Amino acid sequence: MILLKDFLKKIDGQILTQKVDISNTKIKDGYVSDLLSDVMGNAKEGQVWITIMRHLNVVAVASLANLSAVVFAKNYKPEKAVIDKANEEGICLISTSLPTFEVTGILYEMLKKTR
Amino acid sequence: MKWYRADLHIHSVLSPCGSLEMSPRSVMRIAKEKKLDLIAITDHNSMANCMQYAQVAAEFGIDFLYGVEVQTAEEIHLVALFDNLHLALEFDKDLYKSLLLVDNDPDYFGDQVVVDSEENIVRFEKRALINSSCWNFDEALNRVNEASGFAFPAHVDAATYSVIAQLGFIPENSNISAVGISAKANINEVLEKFPQLKKYSLIQNSDAHYLKDIGSGFTYFYLEETNVNELKLACENKKGRKIKNRYRRTNV
Repeated sequence: MILLKDFLKKIDGQILTQKVDISNTKIKDGYVSDLLSDVMGNAKEGQVWITIMRHLNVVAVASLANLSAVVFAKNYKPEKAVIDKANEEGICLISTSLPTFEVTGILYEMLKKTR
Repeated sequence: MKWYRADLHIHSVLSPCGSLEMSPRSVMRIAKEKKLDLIAITDHNSMANCMQYAQVAAEFGIDFLYGVEVQTAEEIHLVALFDNLHLALEFDKDLYKSLLLVDNDPDYFGDQVVVDSEENIVRFEKRALINSSCWNFDEALNRVNEASGFAFPAHVDAATYSVIAQLGFIPENSNISAVGISAKANINEVLEKFPQLKKYSLIQNSDAHYLKDIGSGFTYFYLEETNVNELKLACENKKGRKIKNRYRRTNV
């Protein structure tokens, strides 16, 4: 398990949801997919979800699966309505300039060290 | 008012994955055989063939709506229908500009053929129509509405290119009254699997890419005449307009 804020630093991520407190949020694992039905069916609690999908349903799916955070790769940023909803639901949204492959690689390395 | 048997999702030779046998006269001949009163040609991301097919439909006495199957940024397929050539062309122009700048590879995806009403090849569309628009699901729905069209998500029960497959479920706030169902679907089973669909009118269509499939899915509409506004009323079960499925009566 690692801390979300440590991961955030490593990927040079920008927090989009200012109202969500992540000081103690932990990451157990990661999930990478751009298909929401796939995430709904397979993502597990405590995972960080790395994606380029920006629809409002992303927040509902992340909330449903109890994910630790959603990382939008390649500088993708959702619209304000999505960020507002995430603030409301307490889902942390992060944007980074790194591509999905690199974000995933960094997370994998960080998690591997703690296992 | 009367019942119209409608198949509102049929591809022409323009669709790269469509068969070259889907020429205007062949399509209308089969549509007539299958006793369809109303059809729409809905190619992927382009209405370049609609006018020519509309002309032949008129000759055959088949009512026709100008359609297109938009592929959104999330790779969701939406059927959009318009009343006349003018509205269709206006929308088509905006849609074309929104498509990703990728050329078609006919060897891999198939030819994108624009024909005239006499079935002569006029040109080959260069832009890859198999690709996506940069509009997302909600934006595409809103744009169709603003352009005086009628849109519904296509084949929502399908595992690919459907709103449910791509977005997990239909967004609550989406501006829709109906959803498309694939030809092979048993509507009762679909409703059991996706209870969320109970609040929408279900429009079953063929999504035909080959002649033999035309009319394999169809829906009855009770309308004053065949236009977008009447279809909307039927899907909302208003002013005596209604819709009836093959396996199950809805909104009656």
